[in-house]
Amino acid sequence: MVNRKDMQQPPKLSVVVIAFNNELYIEEALQSLQEQTYANLEVVVVNDFSSDRTGELIDRFVEGKPNFKAIHLPENSGGCSTPRNTGIANSTGEYLMFLDGDDWYTVTACEKMVEAMDRTDSDFVAGQVIRTNNYEIWYHKQLYSTERTNLNIREFMGMLFDSLSVNKIYKRSFLDAHQLRFPEGIHYEDIVFTGKAYFLAESFSIIPEPVYYWRVVENSDVKSITNRRFEFDNFQNRIVAHRYFDQFLRESGASLYQKEKNNKFLRHDLKLYTNDYLLFDEEYKEKFHALIYDYLHETMDEYAFLNLAEKDRILYYLLYIGDRAAFDDYIAYINGYETVANRIQTVGSQYYFSASSTDAHHQKFLKMQGPLITYRISTIHLDEKIFSFKADVNINSIDDDSITSFWMLRNRQTGATLVSEKMEDGTISFHVENMTEGNYYLSLYVNHMGNLHKVLVKKSEISELPNIEVKTGSLSKSIYINQKNSFSIRVQPLKNIDQVKWRLKQRRAAQSAKKPQSKESAFQKWAKRWIPKLPVRSNWVLFESHMGKQYSDSPKYIYEQLVKTDRNFKYIWSFQDPEIVDLPGPAIKVKRNSLKHLYYLNRAKYWVDNQGMAHLADKKEQQVYVQTWHGTPLKRMGYDQKKLPTNQELAKLKKQTDVWDYLVSPNRYTSKVLKRGFRYGGEILETGYPRNDLLISQPPEILEKARMHLGVSSEKRVILFAPTFRDWDPNSFQRVLDDVQILSKEIGEDTVLVLRLHYLLSDKIAQFELPPNIIDASNYQDIQELYLVADMLITDYSSVMFDYALLKRPILLYCYDLDEYITRRGMYFDFADKAPGPVCETIDELLNYVTHPERLTEYREALDQFVEEFGSLEDGKASAKVIESVFRQR
Amino acid sequence: MERKNIVFLINEFNSHGGAQRVASILTEEFMKDGHHVSILSVNEQKNAPSYFSEDVPVKLIHKDNYRPPAPIELSSNLKQWRLMKVSKDLKRRYRLQKQRNNVKKFFEDFGDEEVYVIAIQVYGMQWMQPVLYKRNIKFIGQSHESVAAAKSSQRYKRILSHYRQVSKFLLLTQKDEEHFKEAGFTNTGVMYNPSPFRHFTPPETLYQHKKIVSSGRLVAGKGFDVLIESFASVADTLPGWTLHIYGEGPAEGSLQNLIRIFDLEERVFLEGQTEDIEASLREASLFVLSSKAEGLPMSLIEAQSCGLPCVSTDCAPGIREILTEYEDSLIAPVGDVHLIGRHIKRLADNPELFYSYSRKAYENSLKFDKKVIKQQWYELFEELGGQRDGQS
Repeated sequence: MVNRKDMQQPPKLSVVVIAFNNELYIEEALQSLQEQTYANLEVVVVNDFSSDRTGELIDRFVEGKPNFKAIHLPENSGGCSTPRNTGIANSTGEYLMFLDGDDWYTVTACEKMVEAMDRTDSDFVAGQVIRTNNYEIWYHKQLYSTERTNLNIREFMGMLFDSLSVNKIYKRSFLDAHQLRFPEGIHYEDIVFTGKAYFLAESFSIIPEPVYYWRVVENSDVKSITNRRFEFDNFQNRIVAHRYFDQFLRESGASLYQKEKNNKFLRHDLKLYTNDYLLFDEEYKEKFHALIYDYLHETMDEYAFLNLAEKDRILYYLLYIGDRAAFDDYIAYINGYETVANRIQTVGSQYYFSASSTDAHHQKFLKMQGPLITYRISTIHLDEKIFSFKADVNINSIDDDSITSFWMLRNRQTGATLVSEKMEDGTISFHVENMTEGNYYLSLYVNHMGNLHKVLVKKSEISELPNIEVKTGSLSKSIYINQKNSFSIRVQPLKNIDQVKWRLKQRRAAQSAKKPQSKESAFQKWAKRWIPKLPVRSNWVLFESHMGKQYSDSPKYIYEQLVKTDRNFKYIWSFQDPEIVDLPGPAIKVKRNSLKHLYYLNRAKYWVDNQGMAHLADKKEQQVYVQTWHGTPLKRMGYDQKKLPTNQELAKLKKQTDVWDYLVSPNRYTSKVLKRGFRYGGEILETGYPRNDLLISQPPEILEKARMHLGVSSEKRVILFAPTFRDWDPNSFQRVLDDVQILSKEIGEDTVLVLRLHYLLSDKIAQFELPPNIIDASNYQDIQELYLVADMLITDYSSVMFDYALLKRPILLYCYDLDEYITRRGMYFDFADKAPGPVCETIDELLNYVTHPERLTEYREALDQFVEEFGSLEDGKASAKVIESVFRQR
Repeated sequence: MERKNIVFLINEFNSHGGAQRVASILTEEFMKDGHHVSILSVNEQKNAPSYFSEDVPVKLIHKDNYRPPAPIELSSNLKQWRLMKVSKDLKRRYRLQKQRNNVKKFFEDFGDEEVYVIAIQVYGMQWMQPVLYKRNIKFIGQSHESVAAAKSSQRYKRILSHYRQVSKFLLLTQKDEEHFKEAGFTNTGVMYNPSPFRHFTPPETLYQHKKIVSSGRLVAGKGFDVLIESFASVADTLPGWTLHIYGEGPAEGSLQNLIRIFDLEERVFLEGQTEDIEASLREASLFVLSSKAEGLPMSLIEAQSCGLPCVSTDCAPGIREILTEYEDSLIAPVGDVHLIGRHIKRLADNPELFYSYSRKAYENSLKFDKKVIKQQWYELFEELGGQRDGQS
């Protein structure tokens, strides 16, 4: 205990300075404390039995300074822990800081740290460390880039990368409560001490201020204890420290975070030693492999390496499987030395470094980008006709016979190429008499197992580069190294005037190549600025369906109903390809994303759309956006999605939903789901779908029109087949083709199958010749009209079932990948339970119902229930109701 | 040794930077040995004296002191009707071509004799293009600043495009050389700056002067404000010690003001430009360099060559190649007022420490002796002269 006879208040802060043979620096360290702008502190200097003048210098310094005191240990403790603990025991401050005898504090360090402690009431606060080799912030600038208060390590694991103890101020009560002291008898005490402090602390804070100068002495014989990486003890000490930390994690129930701790060990600690591996002697290497093998197996498995950089992943994996021969070879390989065995192998275009034993499992961890190709060029010769050189091409760890190489000169201005010839004496040679103006860059091409690798030749791989210039006719050829160190032969016209001509010609060529991208004209730029400033016209209505791809869905039916009401409106429809759409009524067509479209987006008071167009123009306050949406949702949407959307995607979504004024909903269920999935808080028009008005009224002329278009006579039975688009499965299209073939054969003569695919696949399917009883209607504008024609529907997870069900005609659900779909997309309700018809998982099951429709009668009830739940609002007047709600104010 | 032709390529032969100092010292040494030295200078300062003696022939690239503007692209400026800019660049292009031809003629006068061109600054290399491929002309490029300093300007880019194909590219320090090796240069080397003088004064005598000196242009980059503040922080504890700053420049007013603020008019003196820095150093005790960025500062080399212990900021790799910390000097981070002050006090307070640093300083500065450096240049000439061109 400290002597309290003077009855003074204990100081707020104690600084523990430890010193061992720091005679050069100790005075600087102590002076930096004496000059602190913070006064309420005591300094305890612990001299760890220095053999130089350190002790004497400390005593001299401390003398006459009441808040400084010196403690001299009777024998050397061999580390930092004992002196620091001694200092803790012999000090009284409420807060504690540590300083090493060869480092120093900034003058405001104590003031800032105490202030941060008082303010944040953290268990400890950390400040920036500056290393004197480069005066940059240690460790990981981004950790210390900004103030962070009251963190817990579990929410900020990156902090584990800073394992220093000296850049922090601690509450003594925190250290005491957990009996947290520096572990004596081991080196790398900070790994244990700081590691424990992180996990024990309720909260810590970070201040983005430099407080601690860490002296880094380069090229010095005097390396500090923890810096001698070439002695095996050093490595062993580090592992010992890590084992203490691991043990602590286990015992304190923090094993969950072992993974993050391992990550830091691999990315920081172990890397130091693998970097130095070539410098170790044989005895060291042997012990190193044995110890690291044990340690890695104690704390992690091979998957800990999977996300590391290629080099580290391969090195650590080879250490992990104990394959020293391969490890030594890989070290040699990455350092450009020959390997004992040839270990670079390929499977197709994938390269990997092979281990000594074969195991299919290895490949995952030993993958490589590609082989390391090295080359040397010498004896360069250039004259009027010939450019030649000697070259040595090498890929270590590969059978030389398996590679062939050639060289190529390529004119970057014209794209012209010249390929090398190999002379009998091995000289590489080019015929250069027909070179034209431009810079010919030299590349090496290496072919290995069918993989062609290109390497641009750099000057650094050329020994004795001569500056040669030769003049032939009106051209000069010279050897030229560009800014990026690439080698080329520069061919220039000799006369200035020719040079100018050639440049102009090049320019023109470059300009005309650029043209197709057609930049915005000045007029367009200007127009885009003023169009949004135009006033809104209160009787203009802008429609769009499926991002302008169709004239269909609820916008279409709202439009047609609105036309019937005969108001004084001007109607505008936007289409991606206005030419191909047959648009009835008075509306005008505009091309989506054109200036004209922008004009109407900004001027129309009403927007009616079923997907989203808020990103095309900023909607104004007085504009009204009616979002009809395009179906009752089955799969999870928006915020409900299985794979949580990124912030970016959510921001996009928010931009859309924020500006909807009305959302049209077909049923109570959809209202609920969309409100939640889109985080939409605006008005919902629960009217039924305007598009379904058609299915209630079933006008015969539309039915006839659709039949005509498809070319189906009324005697035929029509099956509509509408599978959804499976964007995750590239084979799904082929699957549809196969299924269609089977269906074609089985459906019988009196039946036709109408195929309706996702619009993204409509072009693709158009290229295939289909059997005569299959009709492709993927490009038919309005699927609603097809429903009228169809006697039966086959679909899977599409919302078409909700609409078609209103007709109370049979529905077959062909869901061969139901489980996968549910796993990937997730659904809002139990599909198999509520389905309006049989859920078939195989094509045979499906065919069974197609060929025996009478078996479907048992699903009558399910269909009725389905319509009851999802279609009860549909009364054929949805369009009118929407119009009444939205446009009545006029 | 046979007589050699040596040409220094300089931006302005009569401005007063460290690079011109170095070139003038070498010129004097080379001429003493009977070599033929001339100067190719891009421009000249009006009516300014130069470090070089009158005997050295100077060839100006721009006799009318034309200063080319930075290159611009023609077409985009033409489209926007910036006719002044366009005409200026047309003139630049025309002059570049014309001056290149003049340079070609200048070198034609040497016939087939070997010529060593020492480009002490990279800027002038743009006019050398036509002679780069001449086999009798060997180019030696220099960069008299650290990589960090070069990167703050166009010079770094110029180095990348002009020094790739020169026979030798000389840096001031090992660290700078390492940087360019990593950037793929294969022609690098290190050459120290020579000290123009070397003089031993007994440390005890130096100490008795109780004078701290510094020198350099009075501009922000030299950090004299930091130095004055550092001195102010310890002045009270160092009675009798004074600070003397040699040099001129735009910051003179504000520095004078700073001295007044600290009430140090009797202790700190702005001495102006000195003709004889050697004399000033011999009358001093210790030297402080407070710069924010440097190459291989001549001022430190000169101070060391007069046996002065130094305090310096750690502002370039070159500092640690001149100074050996805790042996002949003390080093502090850039801008660290407190530590610079403590360092000054430490040396001023400890005569024994001062004496030992002083002796070491003189000893360690031998590597900058102009005779040593000159010899290294001759060895380099030999190496390059013996180099075959690869062409038979």
